[in-house]
This record gives sequence, C-alpha cells and structure tokens, in this order.
Amino acid sequence: MALGFVDYAILALYFAFVLGIGFLIRRRVQSSEDFLTSHRSVPVWITSLAFLAANLGAQEVVGMCASGAKYGLMTAHFYWLGAVPAMLFVGVFMMPFYYGSRARSVPEYLKLRFDEKTRVLNAATFAVMTLFSSGVSMYALGKLFQLVLGWEFTNSILLSAAIVLVYTFLGGLTSAIYNEVLQFFLIVLGFSPLAILAVIKCGGWSGMAARLPAVMLETWRYTGSSSENPMGVEIFGLAAGLGFVLSFGYWCTDFLVIQRAMAANSMSAARRTPVLAAFPKMVMPFIVIVPGIAALALSHMGVGYSLPSKGDGLDYDQALTTLMAKFYPSGMLGVGLTALMASFMSGMAGNVTAFNTVFTYDLYQGHIRKNAPDRHYLWVGRASTVGGIALSIAAAYLAQRYNNIMDVLQLVFSFVNAPLFATFLLGMFWKRTTGHGAFTGLLCGTAAAAATHGLTVAEGKGGWLEALYPGAALYHGSAVHTFPSTMAQNFWIAIFAWSACFTVTIAVSLLTAPKPEGELRGLVYGLTDLPRDPEEPWYRRPAPLALVVCVILVILNVIFW
Amino acid sequence: MIDLRTPIGIFFVIVGLALVAMPFEPAQLTSSKVNLYGGLPMLLFGGVMLWLAWRKR
Repeated sequence: MALGFVDYAILALYFAFVLGIGFLIRRRVQSSEDFLTSHRSVPVWITSLAFLAANLGAQEVVGMCASGAKYGLMTAHFYWLGAVPAMLFVGVFMMPFYYGSRARSVPEYLKLRFDEKTRVLNAATFAVMTLFSSGVSMYALGKLFQLVLGWEFTNSILLSAAIVLVYTFLGGLTSAIYNEVLQFFLIVLGFSPLAILAVIKCGGWSGMAARLPAVMLETWRYTGSSSENPMGVEIFGLAAGLGFVLSFGYWCTDFLVIQRAMAANSMSAARRTPVLAAFPKMVMPFIVIVPGIAALALSHMGVGYSLPSKGDGLDYDQALTTLMAKFYPSGMLGVGLTALMASFMSGMAGNVTAFNTVFTYDLYQGHIRKNAPDRHYLWVGRASTVGGIALSIAAAYLAQRYNNIMDVLQLVFSFVNAPLFATFLLGMFWKRTTGHGAFTGLLCGTAAAAATHGLTVAEGKGGWLEALYPGAALYHGSAVHTFPSTMAQNFWIAIFAWSACFTVTIAVSLLTAPKPEGELRGLVYGLTDLPRDPEEPWYRRPAPLALVVCVILVILNVIFW
Repeated sequence: MIDLRTPIGIFFVIVGLALVAMPFEPAQLTSSKVNLYGGLPMLLFGGVMLWLAWRKR
C-alpha cells in the first residue's frame, strides 16, 4: 500500500491538531486534580464520546473487523448483548456510588467501601494491566504499519508514543478526553465509507446473504447449540459469559472507561455519560463488524479481492487494511490510516491517563508519600505519565520478542477482571459485604479462572495443569472439557470465576464483621440518597434515556435475529 | 476552557475541502468518486461544528 503526498498531509494535520489541543489545555492545569481527574469539569457530550472512544483502541477496530470476517454478525453480541446493557447499568445504577462517593479512582472507591488491601490488590493489578494493554496496542500498531506501509516497527511506535506523551503530559486527562472526541469522529467518518462501499460491492445486504452461510448474518438464530455457529458457543454461555460477566465486568468496573464519566461536571452528567454513549455504541457494529463480513463475501466473488492467508487458514486481522487498500484512493486512504492511527492513540492515551491516576493517588499517595503538597502530586502525575509510556514501549518490545508471554499475561489479566464485577455488585448493593469477603472472593475468583483454563482445552490452548503435573493424574481424557473455540472457553472461564468470587465473598462476609452503617453512607444502595431530578426533561434524565436505548436494542436484535 | 467544537470543525473542514478538491482517482475495486463522497460529509460535519461553536459565542 503506497501513500501519496495528501495522505501524509492528512496524517500530519491530525498530529498537529492533537498536539495543539494539548497545548491549549496546558494553561488550565494548575493542580493534581486538574491533571488527573479534570477537576470534574467536562461537559457531558464530551465525556460520553470519550467514554466510547477510550475503548476504541486497536483491538476494537481491527479486532472486531477480523471477528466479523471469522464469526459473522454474531460478533455484534459484544455490543448489543454485552456492552450496551452494561453501559446502561453503570449509568443508571452504579454511577451514583462512584461519583457520589467523591472517590478519585475505582480503587479508591474500593478503599472507601472495603479496606486498603482490596484497594491495593485492584490498583496494582490494574496498573500493570494498563501498561501491558498499552504495550500490546503499540505492538499491534507497529506490526500493522510495518506490514501495510513498510514503516519501521520502532519508528511507528516511537512516533505514536511521542505524540501521546506530549499531549497527555501537557493537558493530562482533559487533553486525552478532548482528543478522544476528535479521534472518535475521525474513526466514524474514516471507516463508515468503507463499510458502505464494501457492502455495495457485494450487491447489498442480500448480495452478502447470497454468498455467505446464513449463520454469518444472524445473531441469535443459531445459538441453540454450540455446534451450529462458528463462535462455538450456546445461548447460556453467550448470555451469562459475554452478556453478563465479561461485559459488565469491563464496562462497570474498569477505571479506564469509568474515569471518563467521573470527569463529568455534575452527578447528572456522570450518570448520563454511559447512557448517551450507548446510542453511538449501538451503531458501531455497522462500522467495524460489517466490513469484515463483507470482506469474506468479497473473497467468494472473484472480483480481485481475497483475505490474506496465514498458515492453513485466513489472516482475518488484515481484513480492514486490505479492504482500505482496495476501496480507498489516495486521499480517503490517508483519512482511513489516520483513523487507524487515531484508534491506536486513543487506546494508548486512555491506558496511560488511567495508569497515572491510579499510580499517583492509590499507590504513591496511599503508600509512599501521604501528605505532600499538591504540586508534588502534580509532578508525580506527570512523571508517571512519562514512566507509563516508557514502560508501555518496553512492553511492546517484550511482545515483539516473546509473543507467547504477552498471550499469557493477557490471559492472567482476564482471570483478574472476570470476578471483579461480583465484588462491585455485592459491594454496592449488599451492605453486609465485608473487606475480608471482597479480598478473599477476588483471590478465589482468579484461582477459579486459572483452574478452569488449566483443566479445559480450546484450539490447542489451555489444559496446562496436565503439563505442570504430568504424574498427578489430575484428569484423564474425558474429565477434561474441550471447547469448540477459545471464545467459548473464555466465556465459561468468566462464568466460573464470577460464580466463585460471588459465592466466596458472600460466605466470608457472613463470617466476618461488617463496617458500621455510618461509614457506608454514599457507598451502598439502601444507605445512599439516590439522585432524583424530576424537574429535568426526560431527555436529560438517565432512566428514560436508558429506556429509549433498550427499545432500539430490542428492535436491532429482532431485525438481525 | 476551549470550545472543542472549534478545533474539530476546523480539522474536518480542512480535510473535507482537501478531499472534495482532489481530482477523480478510481480505486481498485470501485469506480465511485470515493474522495468526493467521503469528503462532503466531513465538510458538512465540520461546518455544523463551527456553526454550533459560533452560535454559542
């Protein structure tokens, strides 16, 4: 793929604008709260789009297109069954506790609700996780631009890292959030024409349907049994694993996205942030998944397009870039690649700004230096931004050298994340939950996830307990379950991890002393005055807005049943 | 605090104008005027953003 002058000019213009926004915002950063939390001053339309864009990283855009080609429209379950209901739940039910508690981060909420050890466990795992996620994102960017444009791996990651560093260092969270909005519009306007052109080339929706198995264009119809669909998952695993545990675990507890809502300028705005973000989120499958499905259909049409091969199968990860090369001339090609760069950078900036807040407030202020002047914490926030990006670059090189190590780390992080939603659910909605219960539950949930992965196999992955203890006869053939796909395996790992955490947290909580009710006000349902704004029009209240989203969601699920 | 609609509007107006002004160049799999059809929505979107920012002032 060769870029022309205008393509490079569009990329350079984008870099100039993101840096310019950072410089403009720099002047209003006077304190650590300005830098790390935006001082709760950002308008709701901006936090909503940033809430969405912080998740629109490389894995989302490139990965969802690849999943569209591999699994078909069932991939839309990540949005219509998973993300959107979870976003409504966090906005309507959980945000009053996050925002109302005045906590500056999710781990700090855990400290207020439970105790210090639960906060440190969450803060430490989250900090490491964000750095590696950022590193994986950089690695993916470097590899992709090396493959597509022939750019040097090092040059790609250093250029993107340097630009993210400058604008996050100057303007902190506000700068990252503002740039995420620009990145969001660029992604939508840069990729939408590709979806339209690819579908038209296939002969429209009916043309795709004529060339692909019916299962590729349905969401629910083939979920009665795991053998009926390419995802290899049945309706319970899908609804409980993806729709409940994984999606709610991510959207309701991950500080990376929650931080955007917590930066809103009022409780009402914070609650509406995820709900308003749910509207564009419902449309995203048409922009990121449909091109992947169209790529597969085009491969069967003999029109001069085919998905690249990889080993015995197809390299689905290249679906998006190969479509861009075939459908975009110089000009739109520059917009498309800039949108791709924007998606990488928004993911990276989201991780770095979440990392510097958790490091500064939960680890440094909490345990290294407690009562320093605020300007010291501002300095630490900036220093941890530089350190976070440097460590992300190191993680990207680690991924390049030891690809399997990154797979293992990603897996371990998923073990940590899966049970977390049970902790929050019990912590926010059951006042009897104790700190010892939450801490033990999290550890047991993680152990259950690891055990499930070690005892099951999917696509050659998992089953490592036998390798570790070959003579221990932990299982014999039939005792081990084999999943038809790694995705089904992930869903079931999440279900077991969540269930273990939920059960152990309840059991240990009942055996240990709860916090006095006076210390739980503002943190737990039943002891908190929930915000009500009956004088506001319906479109400014979270619950009626959520209802509208639910209606649209049902319609989408019925249309693409 | 800057009004974010202004830089976003300027960015998309510039990119939209650049795309609309480009001579027609066919892509490998389509003979559509991709730059024109991709640039016009950007130009329109950028214009709306600038209008909203200007109206607020």
